[in-house]
Amino acid sequence: MAEETITFTLPDLGEGLVEATVLEWEVEAGDDIARNDPLVEVETTKSAVIIPSPHDGRVVELHAGPDEVVRVGAPLVTFAVAAAEGPRAGIVGTVPEEESRPRRRVRLTPPSE
Amino acid sequence: MPANLTDGVVMRYADLRPGSPADAVPVLLLHGFGTNFEMNWKTAGWPQELESRGLRAIGPDLRGHGGSDKPTHGDAYLPERFSQDLVGLLDELGADRVDVVGYSMGSRLGWDLALRAPERVRRLVLGGFGPTDAFAGTDLNSLGEGGTPFDEVFRTVSALPGNDAAALAACARGQAARPFRPDPAPEGIPFLLVAGARDTLAVGAEQLARDRGGSHVEVPGRDHVNAVSSRTFRQAVVDFLVRR
Repeated sequence: MAEETITFTLPDLGEGLVEATVLEWEVEAGDDIARNDPLVEVETTKSAVIIPSPHDGRVVELHAGPDEVVRVGAPLVTFAVAAAEGPRAGIVGTVPEEESRPRRRVRLTPPSE
Repeated sequence: MPANLTDGVVMRYADLRPGSPADAVPVLLLHGFGTNFEMNWKTAGWPQELESRGLRAIGPDLRGHGGSDKPTHGDAYLPERFSQDLVGLLDELGADRVDVVGYSMGSRLGWDLALRAPERVRRLVLGGFGPTDAFAGTDLNSLGEGGTPFDEVFRTVSALPGNDAAALAACARGQAARPFRPDPAPEGIPFLLVAGARDTLAVGAEQLARDRGGSHVEVPGRDHVNAVSSRTFRQAVVDFLVRR
């Protein structure tokens, strides 16, 4: 199957943060990865987070090593993915969509005994 | 247990059921002081980790935190109040027995839950936690104004979006009113202490594990903030939970 490469850049992590430090990669170049699998652990001034993979594919290149600072928008990792049918609008990485999850509220009542 | 819970506190929580569930008990994730389920666990990769092992995750925002109600009197935040909330939540979800994974204050509360409702807890993980007094030297009536480590924590978390400084101050006072005691330990409940090697709030964790018959894992190079998302931490916890 035809492949194309996609470079994923460090997404906007919110709260005005402009950069993050790579703590640990969860993958190496050459690894296959599924969308939403853990990709890389980065630390900002606020917290440490796991960035999940935005794509199904194969990891081609990691653009920053542990303890390196990456600016938001700078290349983080390049994937090889199955080429989409027909023309594509672009090949830049995108921020993964927020997955939906059940969030409920429950009113807890005092125990009766 | 005194049944004097008079405030009907509304709790927000996530109940994440895996697509292909394993034959295993659910995991109750208890976040730390001044954070919430999303910050402490979700962005740190825990739902994916547990999902990949077929484990159901139950993640409340503890009272005073996140999307849950935030009373402002200290009595509302005694550890036993949290335990009542958690037992109520497990009842609501029909979860007879869970594995509890806490971080920082969540570990302190997990210990309390295991003592008060041992029939509801199979295994217990205390992350980012040690038997030290987190409030040592701190003036509980002017939190955030002094120079102690807890003052610093308080300043940081009370500035986070969505947090209520008055509720967090009340929470700190409620927690401080019941200092952690390593004795008695929850009977018959295996427990694991896991923390970053540079986590100053987890000083004494190894000794506590040794004294009370628990396990201990140290995450090299990590501190209180960045241990919880590390692969070493996640694997140590999941291995402890899934072992036969």
